[in-house]
Amino acid sequence: MTANQMALPKKKKRMGIDRRRSLEAYIFLIPWLVGVCLFFAYPIFVSIRLAFSDIVEFKGLKTAWVGLENFQYIFFYDINFVPTFLQVVYDTLLNTPICLVFSLLIAILINRKMVGRGFFRTAFFIPVLLGSGYIMKQLLGMGADGATITTGITVPRLIADLLGVSITEVVQGFLDRITVVLWKSGVQIVLFLAGLQGISGSLYEAARVDGATEWEMFWKITLPMITPIILMNLVYTIVSFFTDGTNPMVDYIYKVNFTNQQYEYAAAMSWIYFVFACIFCLLAILLMRRHVYDSGSKS
Amino acid sequence: MTVKAAYHPRRFKFRLRKLTFSRFMLYLLLTLLVVIAGLPLFAMVCRSLMPLDELYIYPPRLIVHKPTLRNFSDLLTSLSSSTVPFTRYIFNSLFTTVVTVLASVVVCCMGAYGLVKHHPAGSGVIFAVVVAALSFSTHVTQIPNYLVVNRLGLVNSYWALIIPKIAVAYNFFLVKQFCEQLPDSILEAARIDGAKEMRVFWTIAMPLLKPAWTTLAVFSFVNNWNDYFSPLIFISSNALKTLPLALQTLSGGAGVVARAGTVGAATFLTTVPSILVFALMRGKVMETMSFSGIKS
Repeated sequence: MTANQMALPKKKKRMGIDRRRSLEAYIFLIPWLVGVCLFFAYPIFVSIRLAFSDIVEFKGLKTAWVGLENFQYIFFYDINFVPTFLQVVYDTLLNTPICLVFSLLIAILINRKMVGRGFFRTAFFIPVLLGSGYIMKQLLGMGADGATITTGITVPRLIADLLGVSITEVVQGFLDRITVVLWKSGVQIVLFLAGLQGISGSLYEAARVDGATEWEMFWKITLPMITPIILMNLVYTIVSFFTDGTNPMVDYIYKVNFTNQQYEYAAAMSWIYFVFACIFCLLAILLMRRHVYDSGSKS
Repeated sequence: MTVKAAYHPRRFKFRLRKLTFSRFMLYLLLTLLVVIAGLPLFAMVCRSLMPLDELYIYPPRLIVHKPTLRNFSDLLTSLSSSTVPFTRYIFNSLFTTVVTVLASVVVCCMGAYGLVKHHPAGSGVIFAVVVAALSFSTHVTQIPNYLVVNRLGLVNSYWALIIPKIAVAYNFFLVKQFCEQLPDSILEAARIDGAKEMRVFWTIAMPLLKPAWTTLAVFSFVNNWNDYFSPLIFISSNALKTLPLALQTLSGGAGVVARAGTVGAATFLTTVPSILVFALMRGKVMETMSFSGIKS
């Protein structure tokens, strides 16, 4: 104890305040850094190596470098990868706009002062709590017993007769999608809500004095002001749809990985998949960036 | 019209009594959406209460006609005739989740505090790693992760479910956003009064960061509680399985037909803790979510 106290002032002089604080910081950071290195950085490194090689011996995972062979196989021989991948892309392209529009609409609705606002906010957030794993699959009816809950809302017979088969199918498809989308938009709703609350009330006040209608205020004030949040939500939505547990591509990679035990092949597929997800996000950002309102603040 | 109401509380009350048409439509629409969103949840509760003969009626019923608790008692009693009682799975899930959450809170808060309040050399690199990790999906690294866990000799133990989940980038990011708002002057004052760095962290920073780590705790709890992949990969012993995995064995094995109700009951039981945890901390979570959202 005393030795420690004696030693400290000396150290201070020698190290200087900056060095000492750096050292302290690393003492705080060490547990986290160790975790990240072990379970994030190193696995990523191994997985890149796996994608470009062939496993020679399972014990100790001895690998041989084969270059792009795995990737060639994926694109030219594998009959599952490309169709599944296109299906995922199609679903994402369709679900993302629906998801964004819906969550914005809901956020605007529950941003108003009204009875039961807390209830509604919680109700739309609850799906987030149930996670995206097995429970979600069970609930959305992709579970083992096959009884789909998403088809719970069926178009009533009378209306179906009136509309004809083809239109009913479209409507039914839309209804099925809505449930899935609503279940995935909890986070987006909260983010939009936060964005809406960040818009200064004086803007609306001024617009109203000038005689603007609610509709005009939405297009001229609300929408431009929340474009940063829209961009953020867009990226979030794309990533979450791509990495979702109910996603057939993730299922397929998983199957190749653990059922067929083709680790190197699965690693190559994951990387292709990941790179494509990144490209989608980048495209979204590039497309949106011109329209994003910049308030000129530091963020 | 309604926006105006938001700024005049008194007038708002008045409008409430006069249920205008547009307001009525608003409620109708919202209720409809809540019903659509809540339908799977509702169906799940109903299924867990359905007696066997109702489960297989065609067309399938959404609403239970003769509710029974048979499924729950089945789950807890008759299934325990198999080697592992259901309560054991509950314990496994609770234990691993709670330990993970506690460790994650401490480790991520410490790290974020060190990074933000001490600006060590190389903090830019560390932050870049965090952001990269945020956008990474976990299935890219599943196999190498397994290799690491295997080499550490943790496979088929509780630690395999706990240790890899502690240093999570998302948690770190959330706390980091909050740390930046901590006023330096308070920390400085404590240091001048002679508090050691650890003491400053525990008695000053942590209480101030409470909204951040409660949110972190809720999310970490929900994620780990519902996690299905890591027990699937790391756990092979029946006695160490967690709830989601046990659920899958329940619904996937032989005799699936007879167990549909039991699966419903198990699914229901699995969702309850997440909802409870959230209900307890709702205000804080909503606040933090909005906050970190704006800032990122």
